[in-house]
Amino acid sequence: MLKFLNKTRQLLYPNVRNLSHSLTACQSNAASESTTSVGKETLASKPALILPQNYADHAPVNRNSARQAWIENVDAVAERKVGLMELHPDVFAAQPRVDVIQENIEWQRKYRYVSMAHTKTRAEVRGGGRKPWPQKGMGRARHGSIRSPLFKGGGIIHGPRSPTSHFYMLPFYKRVMGLTSTLSVKLAQDDLHIIENVEIPTRDAQFIRDLIKERNWGPSVLIVDKHDIFPENICYATDLMGYVNLMPAFGLNVYSMLKHDTLVLTVEAVKHLEERLLYQLHRNDAASKQNKFKLDQV
Amino acid sequence: MAGSTKVILNIPRLTGLKQFMRSLHTDYARLSSFRSSSEVKPLEQYPEVEVLHNPPEWKYVERLLPPRTVPQPVEKSEYPSGWQPQTANGEESGYFVARTKNHMVPVYLNTRFRGQRRLTIVRYIQGDIWALERDLRQVVEQARNGKLCATRVNELSGQIHIHGDYVDLLREHLKSKGF
Repeated sequence: MLKFLNKTRQLLYPNVRNLSHSLTACQSNAASESTTSVGKETLASKPALILPQNYADHAPVNRNSARQAWIENVDAVAERKVGLMELHPDVFAAQPRVDVIQENIEWQRKYRYVSMAHTKTRAEVRGGGRKPWPQKGMGRARHGSIRSPLFKGGGIIHGPRSPTSHFYMLPFYKRVMGLTSTLSVKLAQDDLHIIENVEIPTRDAQFIRDLIKERNWGPSVLIVDKHDIFPENICYATDLMGYVNLMPAFGLNVYSMLKHDTLVLTVEAVKHLEERLLYQLHRNDAASKQNKFKLDQV
Repeated sequence: MAGSTKVILNIPRLTGLKQFMRSLHTDYARLSSFRSSSEVKPLEQYPEVEVLHNPPEWKYVERLLPPRTVPQPVEKSEYPSGWQPQTANGEESGYFVARTKNHMVPVYLNTRFRGQRRLTIVRYIQGDIWALERDLRQVVEQARNGKLCATRVNELSGQIHIHGDYVDLLREHLKSKGF
């Protein structure tokens, strides 16, 4: 399998790269010529967009071939392949570490969970200050308080005390690996789609519903852009739909990716995520991120 | 690069640009910005500064800064440290042992029980991990004069654990195979 994958990489990519270089040159020429023309005409005549990635800085560690994904349009309900995008194998073809994904999920559930379960000790239960019967002479067991834990209605020993925080931090590189694993899993399961941008033509929610139905996107969709300020139309269209959510790239997390059936990334978001995750995987001062987490740090 | 700016205090020129920069900084404060801190007063109360982007002298500063990510190794015919670049790509052997981000061979020693148990751990294995385990076990058993060697394979995380301290042996073996 290794052999096959490597061969395809070696054979396919130089051709794709050359093609795309000529195409991008055409595009830039065309763009400079027709900057004043109407946008719709240029859209129709635009050549296919092929985005090869430059992996000179971070050569793929992973021997899987780099993944390729279609770039889809969102300006109409009908699906149109706008281009093809290469994805870095260290981010989008990583080993699917289901154990690390599970650890991430557990961490994300726990760090924000505060247990409010509470019991009263013998000191806190009302009453019980007086000795219920004399120490001797009654033929009964000796007791000093009716709120003793031995009594019905007495205090509870070692019970839950609220608030109990379950906060902890997962090691930094487990969080990074959780992101790369989940992105790889989503891509491998065909649950990851790439769109050119989030500019939809209307603010009508029906458009989004039709789009999701047409594209066979899952019941729930997470749309991720690079920035946290989304265009007006998509905000209005998805505002009242609980199963379609918008998220900036810096907020992307394992829990949300698994919670939503389909992950939809914009081209900008993919590039940003790749750049940030590769930086984290190759950074020189990685040891500084592996220190013990301190609550009072920024 | 985020640090490629230079600040010069109180130079009364390019006021238009200064006004423009100030307007960029005064539209609204995001929570991630330093200006969202209650300690920071409105920017008008601070002395005027001119922000220069990419001044020509910056390259002298830049070469003093450490690289942000681990750079690619410089190609030489021979390395005095004994380090050698990775040459194999796993096509003939069917398995592949990736280098770490610091371009080292990922063979580690794990000691437990006050040094009584020593485990040699080979990480970042891709491809046919069972074939690699057979090869490594053969190497170790040869070094042990034919005595059996206990190993453990974790296919999910791509790791092989070998009982005993055979770090140098396995590292040199993997290097000789081009990994």
